[in-house]
Amino acid sequence: MRIIVCIKQVFDPLTPVNALTIDSDRKKILGSAYTPPVINGYDEQALEAALRIKENWPGGECEIVALSLGERFKLDVMKKALAVGADELVLVDDAAFDTADSVFIARALAAAIHRLGGADLVLCGRQASDWDNAQAPLLLGEMLGWPCLTLARRVEVRNGRVEVERVLSDGSQVMESNLPAVVTVTSELGELRFPPARARLQVARRRPKEMTLKELNVEIGSPAAEVIDVSLLKVERECQYIGGANGAEAGRRLAETLIDAGLISPNGG
Amino acid sequence: MAGILIFAETDAGAILPNFWEQVAAARTLAPQLGSVSVAALGWQIKTDEALRSGAEAVYVLEDERLTEPWPDAHLSALESLCHELHPAMIVMPRTTLGMEVAARLAFRLGGALAQDAMTLQLADDALTITRPVAGGAASATVRLNRAPWIVVPRSGAFTPAEPGAEASAKVVSVQPSISDAALKTRCVSRARQEGETISLERARVIISGGRGLDGPEPFQLLHRIADAIGGAVGASRPPCDSGWVPTSYQIGLTGKMVSPEVYIAVGISGATQHTTGCSSARTIVAINTDKDAPIFRMATYGVVGDWKEVLPAFHAALADRG
Repeated sequence: MRIIVCIKQVFDPLTPVNALTIDSDRKKILGSAYTPPVINGYDEQALEAALRIKENWPGGECEIVALSLGERFKLDVMKKALAVGADELVLVDDAAFDTADSVFIARALAAAIHRLGGADLVLCGRQASDWDNAQAPLLLGEMLGWPCLTLARRVEVRNGRVEVERVLSDGSQVMESNLPAVVTVTSELGELRFPPARARLQVARRRPKEMTLKELNVEIGSPAAEVIDVSLLKVERECQYIGGANGAEAGRRLAETLIDAGLISPNGG
Repeated sequence: MAGILIFAETDAGAILPNFWEQVAAARTLAPQLGSVSVAALGWQIKTDEALRSGAEAVYVLEDERLTEPWPDAHLSALESLCHELHPAMIVMPRTTLGMEVAARLAFRLGGALAQDAMTLQLADDALTITRPVAGGAASATVRLNRAPWIVVPRSGAFTPAEPGAEASAKVVSVQPSISDAALKTRCVSRARQEGETISLERARVIISGGRGLDGPEPFQLLHRIADAIGGAVGASRPPCDSGWVPTSYQIGLTGKMVSPEVYIAVGISGATQHTTGCSSARTIVAINTDKDAPIFRMATYGVVGDWKEVLPAFHAALADRG
């Protein structure tokens, strides 16, 4: 069993908006220089899904490869994948990957997966927190000609098939397909486990495997959908603080303020 | 390529309410792109409403395999229809199914996708849209260089169109083309969340809980308050991820987009991931222990305090005035 988990380095999504800047020449959002980048949260959860499959794999013959396309990688950030239990980390570093063009990214991922000798299962986060495109995994499935199962909060592999419990807005759906397949993971699956201290020390000496865009032999074409401008959105309102001698008094005053302003009705209407 | 095609998603035969936002979005470009048609996919579809949407034609694609939100089946049927109709623009619903089919359809048709479109502008043979990115922290202007354009309007960005008095559209029944080869996945079972009394999307008042509630029990108090003021209960992502409340409660980028009159955020810090789903509320009320929480920057009324003290008194005051 071979699982490739696609992970992306992104600026920390918890960076306050006023600490973000826009590179207007390159049409990009830049994270704060003071906040280190992170592995995209949903990708971490995809990694967690892979680790759970490996833990329950009979005989333990299950290999996890973490694959990332990006630029200016922070090795200590990306090596977290090794620290939690991925067998290998593959980085493809090129400025071309700093793009919102999901079609290009999916092509490069497909090429990298082929070059790595293929996989039985490719796990991805449902979307990346920078562009929120949620496209690359779906396109990857199209390009590989593999089934694609999305928004999994549970992923199980048995008898050459993968079964997922998929989150819907009004409940859930169990779906399955044969392998190989692409599966996207949603946050309901749960957080990535914390790497043991010993493992964090051990990975300090390990090197990721490196590949180049040239080796992937993927052309950079003009994107079907092209970002031509980016601006920060700042919602600012003047907040009227409602206080009191204690929380209870503030709570009562808040209710009265909202009722008097006609915003809520205590009679349910 | 000409005209606009709206994909009307159905559930138990009924067209989803998102449809009327799709109609509104389509109408903004109808003068330039020509006629608007509707493709309703499902099983035993009630078409009456779609017939009153002002569309020229309603294509009805019925197949038992279109009962569930099964991406492969819907994609296959819709792709075949697009090969016959050659629409210049296809308007998809902002639903789990709609967004997924949109991305794959754009790829298969060699077109371009615009998700979460807030505005649509057509000039020089290119469609330009604006959309929120980075969890709602920024807005991107995206030009779609290749047609057909597959567009997913952002919830709340287009005021829903009203059904007309006359059922003016002609009905075209089409046998959906769903090849077995296209069905690479299988649906095993479906579970529906019961008990959502007032839908979040339509609620006038929403009271939402976040990580600060620290467990499932406090949501019962939120429900009692919601019942008292005729509102609905929502949540930010952490309570859903922790299983305190069902996923259907989630408001935000990966949950529901709501625009109530009043949004009461309890123990919610205000990560953009969440606030992008509620920022269009007319009035935001924040209750949080952290006076520096970002939620206060977008709130009209705020209480810096512990919900354990604030909320029971808030609830009691409602009873006193009721």
